[in-house]
Amino acid sequence: MGTAVTHVPPAPPAVDPAAPGTAAGGGSATPSGGARRGRAHRENLAGYLFMSPWIAGFVLLTAGPMIASLYFAFTDYNLFDAPRWIGLRNFTEMFADPRWRTSVEVTSWYVIVGTPLKLAAALGVALLLNQKRAGQGFYRAAFYAPSLIGASVSIAIVWRAIFSDGAVVDRAQQVFGLDAGGWIGDPDRIVYSLVALTVWQFGAPMVIFLAGLKQVPRELYEAAEMDGAGTWRRFWYITLPMISPVLFFNVLLETIHSFQIFGSAYILGGQGNSCGPADATLVYTCYLYIQGFENSRMGFASAMAWMLLLAVGLVTAVLFWSQRRWVHYEEASR
Amino acid sequence: MRTTSTVDRRGMLKLTGGSLAALGLTAAGCGSGSGSGDGSVTIRYAWWGSDDRAKRINQSIALFEKKYPKIKVKTDFQPYADFWKKFNTQASGGNPPDVFQNAIGFLRKYDEKNVLLDLREQVKAGNLRLDGFRAGLEKFGEIDGKLLGVPVGSNSMALVIDRKLFAKAGITPRPGWTWGEFQAALAKIRDTQGRAGDSGMYGVMYLYDLHLRQHGKAFFTKDGLGFTEADLTDWWTRAYAGVRSGVHAAPGKVAQARPKSAVTAELAASEFTWDNFAIRYTAEGKSEYGLAPIPTTDGKRTGQYLGSLMLSGSKRTKHPREVAQFIDFMVHDPEVATIMGFDRGVPATTAQYEAFKPTDPVARQIAAYEQQLVDSGVLETITPHPAGADVCEAAFLRLAEEMALGKRSVPDAVKQYFTESETALGS
Repeated sequence: MGTAVTHVPPAPPAVDPAAPGTAAGGGSATPSGGARRGRAHRENLAGYLFMSPWIAGFVLLTAGPMIASLYFAFTDYNLFDAPRWIGLRNFTEMFADPRWRTSVEVTSWYVIVGTPLKLAAALGVALLLNQKRAGQGFYRAAFYAPSLIGASVSIAIVWRAIFSDGAVVDRAQQVFGLDAGGWIGDPDRIVYSLVALTVWQFGAPMVIFLAGLKQVPRELYEAAEMDGAGTWRRFWYITLPMISPVLFFNVLLETIHSFQIFGSAYILGGQGNSCGPADATLVYTCYLYIQGFENSRMGFASAMAWMLLLAVGLVTAVLFWSQRRWVHYEEASR
Repeated sequence: MRTTSTVDRRGMLKLTGGSLAALGLTAAGCGSGSGSGDGSVTIRYAWWGSDDRAKRINQSIALFEKKYPKIKVKTDFQPYADFWKKFNTQASGGNPPDVFQNAIGFLRKYDEKNVLLDLREQVKAGNLRLDGFRAGLEKFGEIDGKLLGVPVGSNSMALVIDRKLFAKAGITPRPGWTWGEFQAALAKIRDTQGRAGDSGMYGVMYLYDLHLRQHGKAFFTKDGLGFTEADLTDWWTRAYAGVRSGVHAAPGKVAQARPKSAVTAELAASEFTWDNFAIRYTAEGKSEYGLAPIPTTDGKRTGQYLGSLMLSGSKRTKHPREVAQFIDFMVHDPEVATIMGFDRGVPATTAQYEAFKPTDPVARQIAAYEQQLVDSGVLETITPHPAGADVCEAAFLRLAEEMALGKRSVPDAVKQYFTESETALGS
């Protein structure tokens, strides 16, 4: 951490929200504390003004509803009648609910299988694109495109068509004599088409990997090559440690993102009250939506939302804790 | 010596935070305008249905606006399940459409939540005529002495069949045929035509209701389920055997054919559904489609009743008079009948019934089918649908599918169904 420099506050300890921002100055001499503070104050004000649409949006559309939902989580609330306080009953009911457990299982499976596959695809393609080659720009754009459109409703519908009975994937399987019948109607296979849809959208992490790969100093590879290290060793001992912060960032973001999957699962799973045949794509948010908006149990749905937040928070904490063991920041390696 | 790399870890946090924040803030705005300077008012009308229905309804509205130049009608429509999600959300936010399509299963639910307009007063004021309805249909929207919905058409459960396949298999269903004869017919179609006989009748709540009514029970009582776990276990045990033997279509294939029907997707030769669906199937599939009678237990009683789509007003509307005038126009105007056809069922009022004489074979069959129901005297009165009936219907379909896919044993599915229904009906 960059706290080695002792920071001497130039001004009396007045309430000065700008203090952290001036750390770069590192205790430089100030001609006039008051004037400086005045200017900083004006700058702050301007800053907050520029941020105000965002702050208003955050307070009104995120923080407010979040606080309300925290209250609803402990109530029986059907949207029409006033919420009725029931303490922890939503939570005890949740743990006893087999459908809730199904949704947790489906989501966990999706996160644990989907995220690593997506990141592996992203890293693999990024490594290929990192080489100097003709038409590089085109390839980058082409591989990035799916992540722009992949989350859209129309792609999920197309995906549903591709994996259906008698469609492209089914026919291709038949050529190889594999069991046909379509994936969408099969409770054991539909999740794989969902994972495939996710993996296909590897563009965003790929671009971040690519940026990370560009940062790796060439001389390290040259030195390693002189020592006779092969491709695999160079990847394992140079590339991977050097891009580990970027890898960590991607793991974190994609994991959080995976927990929140909704649209593609809901559409791929299809119609009405069920998400997939026999709840095969009943991801957590899908069940939350069903309870909240179809069964009008907003209290239960709010409790579910807070459980999700807790779970994501916990996983994030574990990831941050684990990074000490496998993420190498440059300062440590020098 | 400090290196610039100290920013890395902190930068990482910033980057993470920034990206998370960027994941999104989306604001949705909604506005509702009604009433303007020149005395004209705007009412919002929402319904569920297909594009075809939307076209017909828009034509009807154009006609309405010509006759009532001071009333503008703003429309909105979705498929059935999405319609109710949206409606529920709007209604809970105090912003439901002024007038909307409704059905029996939702009357009690939304009456309890204080959403529905009692149209009695508008009838008294002469803005809405309740005379001239066929077969006592005007009573269908009455709950506890309140008029909560006005029927626009009647429909009834039927066995919608692929006529070509039935003919090829040499099967002619006759009124009063029994479940045994019906099962034999399905098996014959499977054996001779290489197609499942039925699409998945075990998950259709309204059919199971008829089966129960034939035994003197019903799906719902006033406040709960009207059957026992043993009843449902029996129904689903036989269904599972039928799925295994190929009498019922493979549930996985039916699921992925949606929103297309299993009959038009050529997975099954017949399906239990509402009789007016035959129109949709004709537009959707390649074969010829028709109607067959509901099988019986005793050779006579089908347990059937007339159902109906209705129009309801919302209690919060600022324009109850205009809402009533619009409903009156939609159910009585003869020209509307010629535009709508049998899309909403057989027209509820005699004025509209006489104005539309079906010429295409499917509409003719629907008319003949309902006429036969009336003439043979099999029609009974409809049993009440308590609040939560809609959730029970969805759960019935879903758990039947899980059972058919072999993902849940029959006893397990039955137990889960009773648990979920009790939650839905208890609240």
